Amino acid sequence: MPAKMRLILSSITLALLAACSQVQPWERGYLAKQEMAWDSDPLERALNDHIFFSKEASSGGNTAAGGGCGCN
Amino acid sequence: MMKRGFLTLGLGLMTSALVGLAHAIEEGDPAPDFSLPSIYADQPAIALADMPGKTVYVDFWASWCAPCLTSLPLYNDLYNKYRDRGLEVVAINVDNPIEDGLDFLLDTPLDFLIPSDPEGDMATQFAVIGMPSSYLIGPDGEVKLVHMGFRPTDMEMIEAAIVANLRD
Amino acid sequence: MKKPASRSLIALSTSALALPGIAEADAPPLTSSLSYKISNYQEDDLSREQVPFGELERYDIDVHQFQFVSPLGRDYALFINANHENMSGASPWFSTAGSNGQPVINMSGASGIYDSRSEVSLGVRYYGARGNIGGAIGYSEENDYRAKYVSMSGSRNFNNDLTTLTVSLSHSDDSIFPSDAERFNRVRHENKQASSVAVSLSQVLNPVASFQTALSLTGQSGYLSDPYKLQDSRPDEKTQIAFSNSLRYFFIEADGALQSDYRYYRDDFGIRSHTLDLSWFQNVTRSFKIVPMLRYYSQSAADFYTSIDDFLKPLSESQSSDYRLSAFGAVSGGLSLVADFGGWSATLTAERYVANEKYSAFTVAQPSPGLVQFTRLSLGVDYAF
Repeated sequence: MPAKMRLILSSITLALLAACSQVQPWERGYLAKQEMAWDSDPLERALNDHIFFSKEASSGGNTAAGGGCGCN
Repeated sequence: MMKRGFLTLGLGLMTSALVGLAHAIEEGDPAPDFSLPSIYADQPAIALADMPGKTVYVDFWASWCAPCLTSLPLYNDLYNKYRDRGLEVVAINVDNPIEDGLDFLLDTPLDFLIPSDPEGDMATQFAVIGMPSSYLIGPDGEVKLVHMGFRPTDMEMIEAAIVANLRD
Repeated sequence: MKKPASRSLIALSTSALALPGIAEADAPPLTSSLSYKISNYQEDDLSREQVPFGELERYDIDVHQFQFVSPLGRDYALFINANHENMSGASPWFSTAGSNGQPVINMSGASGIYDSRSEVSLGVRYYGARGNIGGAIGYSEENDYRAKYVSMSGSRNFNNDLTTLTVSLSHSDDSIFPSDAERFNRVRHENKQASSVAVSLSQVLNPVASFQTALSLTGQSGYLSDPYKLQDSRPDEKTQIAFSNSLRYFFIEADGALQSDYRYYRDDFGIRSHTLDLSWFQNVTRSFKIVPMLRYYSQSAADFYTSIDDFLKPLSESQSSDYRLSAFGAVSGGLSLVADFGGWSATLTAERYVANEKYSAFTVAQPSPGLVQFTRLSLGVDYAF
């Protein structure tokens, strides 16, 4: 990795960290919205995981997988 | 160029670290004085200085905080039970926009005082470390109890602390 | 007398599993909720060009999903999930060279396949001052397949609840007992196991943005072939790795949120893939949302993929003509309408999925004639009380 790129990357990381510590507990109204959740619709996510698991070769994501099915 | 970048970053980090270290209010501390507009446009400002000799329960809440919404109707019952014995409940709303807070109140009318602090000035003064946070202030102006978070079963302990600090 | 929960509280409770640490500490949901979702998806028929003889019709699947979530005492929550799925149609059986030398498909189930799958899972989670920990057990049954699984996961919040580390583990033990095994000379009874571990780190970046990065590792062993295909033989070990990145960003002026998820995947069958998921949540009124979605997926072929089955090759050598092991790309687009009426909410979703070797981001040495296109419709209802 060229030195310039490394500098840019580390600057971004530091800037993000610096920015992070400024989100106070009372400033988290937008983050609390349902559409900001990692899994905003668990049934939709489960259905998609199941359908794509049966049609594509890839699986796995943010959490450990559940059981298999005869569909693959 | 590179050095200056790091210097700026370093300063930024230090500033944010200092903000993070602002002194959180603890039991035994003198209560910070507050004066805030009411969330209702037609009601007067709310200040601690106007409540001498009273036992004041200050609570920070927002419409997006589920435990806050659970606690408020229970605080309303508590307020109506002890208002004649000198209890004031001041539930500081930190919603921004304010309309989100008002929308909840439309649904759930509350009898106690509700100031609005959309910029979090008072939350900063108290150095609130989580939502909801509440502070019981005795008639002597000293913080008697700091409580963070809320579950319905906490009411027993909160009521006992309030009763122990009523004037009479 | 217990007072009814306010509308705002109920609205928050339906998203009980939002970002942790938003309020003080993690907390179990404050109200119970019941969700049901019914979906139908239908794979497009194949053409006579792809299938010279027999059935052209592929799967038509109905899925019913139920979820019940309830607080359990002061610090716990209970999760019960039940799914039922009915499928009918046919799937590719084997692949041969057509008159022009191009691969053609021979479908199974001349009279059609009918199958159903039922699944239940039960989970409990404890919520503490700085995180949560929980586990689940599940069971899934079809008339030719059975899966038993357990999973555990724990999250811990740091840095004023702005950073969350989550570790999850799961194990699944599956049995395969193909129907008509004797008649078609299929395997009688086989097993397979899968274990996976995933670690994720999420970080609140600013009042409107958060980011999550995750790594998951899965090991499978046992019978990994497709028992219904005439010539299908795969290695009996497989290691999969997936690296995911997710961003959530709220645009205050637009009153909408962007959900962006990217996953890189690779396994030792030789498959690599990219998945990009984008959703835009547009708030139209306080109780109505429109959510357009776009997904791109592309994978490379397994090392042993062949578009024309070689019946002279011994089964000790790996080979498969399963379209799911070929190189292809897929684009899907969808739209959801979400309405909230206090304790009730309803979601209507339509989605169209089109796989094609032309969309592939990887080299396609042998395109599969069996790629899938499907259309899905779903209706979901949630009730909090």
